[in-house]
Amino acid sequence: MEEAESFSNPSFLQDVSTRASERSGSDESPAVAQLRKLLFRRILIGASDGRFFLGTFHCIDKQGNIILQDAVEYRHTRRSGDPSPMEQRCLGLILIPASCRTSCHAECSIDEQISLLSINK
Amino acid sequence: MASRLVQGQEGETGGRLADPPISYPIIPAGEQTVWADVSPLIASACNDLQDGQLIHGENFSLFAAMSALEIMDPKMDAGVEKCGYYSIEEAIENNVAPVPLSLNPTLDVQRVIDVIDHLFSCEATWYKGHTLAQTVFSCIYLLRIERTSSHALLHSYCRIMRATCNAVISVVSDSRTHEEEDLFTMAYGLPLKGEGDEKCLSILNSVEETISRQLRACKAQSLKKKQLEDIEPLQSNPDLEEGYCRALLCRLRFRKHYYLVLTSMKKPQGKGLELARKHVASCLSELTHITKSQEFLRALSYGFHQDDIQSSTTASGCRPIGFDASLNNRFSAPTPPRATHILSWKEAVSYFQKLLSDLDFVCSLNTDLVLDDVFCFIVQFQKPQPDLVARAHLQILLIQDGKLYGKEFFHDIISRELGLPELTKGKEHQKNEFIVQLGQLIINLLKILCANTAWQRRKLGKILQDWSVLSLQLEIAFKREIGETLNVMVDENMSTKVSKHLLRWTEERTYWIASRFLMLGFELELYSPYDYCMVYWFMYLVFMKLLEKIQLQTAANNENSQRKGKKKKDHGKDQIRDASFSSSTLLIHCYICLSEGLAMILAALRNESKAFHMVGPFNGEEERFIQHFDLLLKAHVPEHATYYLFKESTGHARISSIIKDNCFREAQKIITSLRGSYAGNSDKLIELQQLEQVAERNRVALSVIDQIGARDPSLTVSFEFTHHPHFAIAVIKRS
Repeated sequence: MEEAESFSNPSFLQDVSTRASERSGSDESPAVAQLRKLLFRRILIGASDGRFFLGTFHCIDKQGNIILQDAVEYRHTRRSGDPSPMEQRCLGLILIPASCRTSCHAECSIDEQISLLSINK
Repeated sequence: MASRLVQGQEGETGGRLADPPISYPIIPAGEQTVWADVSPLIASACNDLQDGQLIHGENFSLFAAMSALEIMDPKMDAGVEKCGYYSIEEAIENNVAPVPLSLNPTLDVQRVIDVIDHLFSCEATWYKGHTLAQTVFSCIYLLRIERTSSHALLHSYCRIMRATCNAVISVVSDSRTHEEEDLFTMAYGLPLKGEGDEKCLSILNSVEETISRQLRACKAQSLKKKQLEDIEPLQSNPDLEEGYCRALLCRLRFRKHYYLVLTSMKKPQGKGLELARKHVASCLSELTHITKSQEFLRALSYGFHQDDIQSSTTASGCRPIGFDASLNNRFSAPTPPRATHILSWKEAVSYFQKLLSDLDFVCSLNTDLVLDDVFCFIVQFQKPQPDLVARAHLQILLIQDGKLYGKEFFHDIISRELGLPELTKGKEHQKNEFIVQLGQLIINLLKILCANTAWQRRKLGKILQDWSVLSLQLEIAFKREIGETLNVMVDENMSTKVSKHLLRWTEERTYWIASRFLMLGFELELYSPYDYCMVYWFMYLVFMKLLEKIQLQTAANNENSQRKGKKKKDHGKDQIRDASFSSSTLLIHCYICLSEGLAMILAALRNESKAFHMVGPFNGEEERFIQHFDLLLKAHVPEHATYYLFKESTGHARISSIIKDNCFREAQKIITSLRGSYAGNSDKLIELQQLEQVAERNRVALSVIDQIGARDPSLTVSFEFTHHPHFAIAVIKRS
C-alpha cells in the first residue's frame, strides 16, 4: 500500500500512523480501532454556525480535525423557527476543524449503535 | 423506513445518547440505519492517538487532502453564516423588497428611481470586473422578477435589465475574450433566462408612453390649459410631477437606447453599425438629462439620510431598498467572492460615457478597410484602454464564422491584398497550405489584439515563434521554387510569386508584432530605467527590419504594376496605396530615429557618468537582456540580436558624438513632412504632436547635457513618459 502511495507522496510526507501500523496492528487502543472501522461511513457533523455537513469519513487527526469526502452542506433558510426548510450544496472534500465541530453522528445499524454505546461507557 | 435523528434514546446499558444539537435537522439516515452520536468515541480515540498520527483509509493522500476546503475559513468557505438573512425567501418575508416600494405614490416613485440608479452603478461595477451575483443580481427584485408584475414601471425595468445582461454576456462569451479572471460571465444559479424577454422593449415603450402622457398632462395643468385626456398622475404631489416624470423618462430612454445599441451591433456583417451609432448618441444625450436630474432628486431627499455626493450609488443620495449582496454568496462557486465595492453613481455615469465612446469607435469601423488598416484601427481603439465589453464587441465584429466581418474568408483577402488577382479565379490557392496557415495566424492575431494589454503582450510574445516559423517555411519554399523555375518558362511560376509575396508580408507582420510587444512593455511599466537603453536599442533593430520589409513590399508592388502596364484608373488606386505606404514608412523612420537617439543618450550617460548602470546582487545586465528579449531571441526576430552586439553598438557612445549624429533633429524633419499626409486625421496628428514634443525636448536636453558635461556630479537625468507612452523624454535636474 505504501509503495503505491509514494508515487503521489514524496516519502518525507509519509505519516506516522502508517509506519506505526507497519509495526503492529495490535498496538492500537480499542477506541482507535473502533474509530478506524467508521472510515468510509457516512458521518453527519454539526458546525457552530448551525450548518450540517454530511460526507464519508476520510481522515481524522489527534486534534480532532475531520476530513469528509463528497460532503454536502445543509443549512437553514430561516434564522429562527422550528422546523425551517433546509437547502443543500455539494462541497466535495472538506476539512472541519475541531474548534467549530459541535456534534458528530455516524450512520450505523441499530446493533452497532448498541455496541458503540458500550465503548462510550 | 428512514429513521430520523434520534433524541434521548436509552440504550441497553442504560446510557443515554448525547442530546442532538439545538437546531433539529431533518436529514434522514438510510434504511435500517440510525444516526449514532460518536463524539465520545472520537474524544477517547484522539486521546489515544500519538502526536502526528492520523486515522485514514487506503485512498488517503496527504497531498490531495491539502486541497480540502476548510470550513469556517472566510477565504475558502462561502457558506459561513453571518448576520443577515439566511435566504432570499427570508429576506422577502421580512419586507426587504416590498412591492410596491411604498404605499405613498411619491415615495414609491422616489424609491424606484433609487433602485434604477443603484442598478446602474452595479452594472458599471460588473463591467469593471466583478461577478454578476455580487452586483446587478444583488437586487432581490431581479432575483424574483415575478413578484414585480403588479408594478408596471419596476417590472418593465427589471425585464429590460435582465435582457441587457443576457445580451452582454452572450457577446462576451462568444468572443471568448480572456481576462485574468473569468468573473464576468459567471452566472451560476442566477435567474438569467426569462420567457418573453424579447418583448421587453415593447413593455418598456408602453410604460414610457404613459409617463410621457403624464408629463404632458402636468405641463398642461401648470399652464392652466384644458387637458386633452384624463390621466392619473405619476405620483401625488403636483409640484413634483414634472421633475419626477422627467427623471424617470431619461432613465427609461437611456435603458432603451442602450439595449438597441447592443442589438444593432449584433447584426451580422456590421449591418447595424450606423444605426448603433445613432442609439449611442441618444444614450449620451439621455445621460446628460440623467445627470441634470440629480439636483432635483437630491434636494427632495434633504432631511433623509443621504450619502455624500461623491460616494453615493444613487442620484438622490439615499440608500436603495431591495438589495442584499450577501444572499448570493453561495452562488459564487466554489470560493467566497471578494469584497465588492459598488462604484458611486457619478463614477458609473463617467464609466458609461467612456464605454459609449469606445462602442462608438467600434461602430465607426469601415468594413471596406484593407487588412493593414484594420490592424491600425485596433491599435487606435486600444489607446484609451477600453474595457472588456467594448473589446468583446470589436472582436465579434471583426471575426464571424472565420471570416473578416463575416464577409470574406482570410485566404481571399490575403490573395487580394498581395496584389495577385489572377489567383482568385482558381480554387487552388485555398489549398495552398501557406495561405491557409497565414489565415489562421491572422485570425489569432486579431483576437489577441482585442485583448487587454497584459494578456495581449503575453500572447504576442508567444505567437512570434509561430510567425517566425511560417516565414522560415515560406523562405525555404521560395528558394526551392526559384531553383525549379530556372528550368521552366520565362514567366515566373505562379506559386513562386505567391511564396515571395507571402514571405514579405509575413515577415513585415512578424516585425510589427515584435515592435508592438516591445512598446507595450512601456505601457505595462515592465522595464526599469536601467533597462531602457537595451529596450530602445532592440526597438531600433526591430524598426529597421520592419522598414526594410515594407520597402521591399512597396518595390515589389511597383514592379508588379509596371510589368502589367496598368490602366489609369488602377494607377489612382495604386497611388493612394503608395502614399499610405510612404507615410507609414516615414513614421517608422521617425520611430527609428527616436529609438536610436534615446538608446544612445542612455548609453552615453551610462558610459560617462555611470548613471543607469545597475549594480547589485541580483541579475546582471546580460541576464536581464536575455530575460526581456527571450521570446524574441528564440524566434530569431531579428536574427543575430545578441547581448554582445548590444555592448558593441553602445559601448563607445559619448554625448559629444551623439550630438553630431543628431537623430532628434532628423526625427523633427520627418514629422514636419508627415503633417501634410496626416491632415484631417486627428488621431494621427495627435501622435505626431506627441512625437514632436519628444524629439524637441530630447534634442534640447542633449545639448544641455553636452554643455554641462555628463560627468558633472550636480547633474541628474531622469526619463519620463509625459508626452508619448512609448518614447521617453530626458528631464534634467541640477542640484
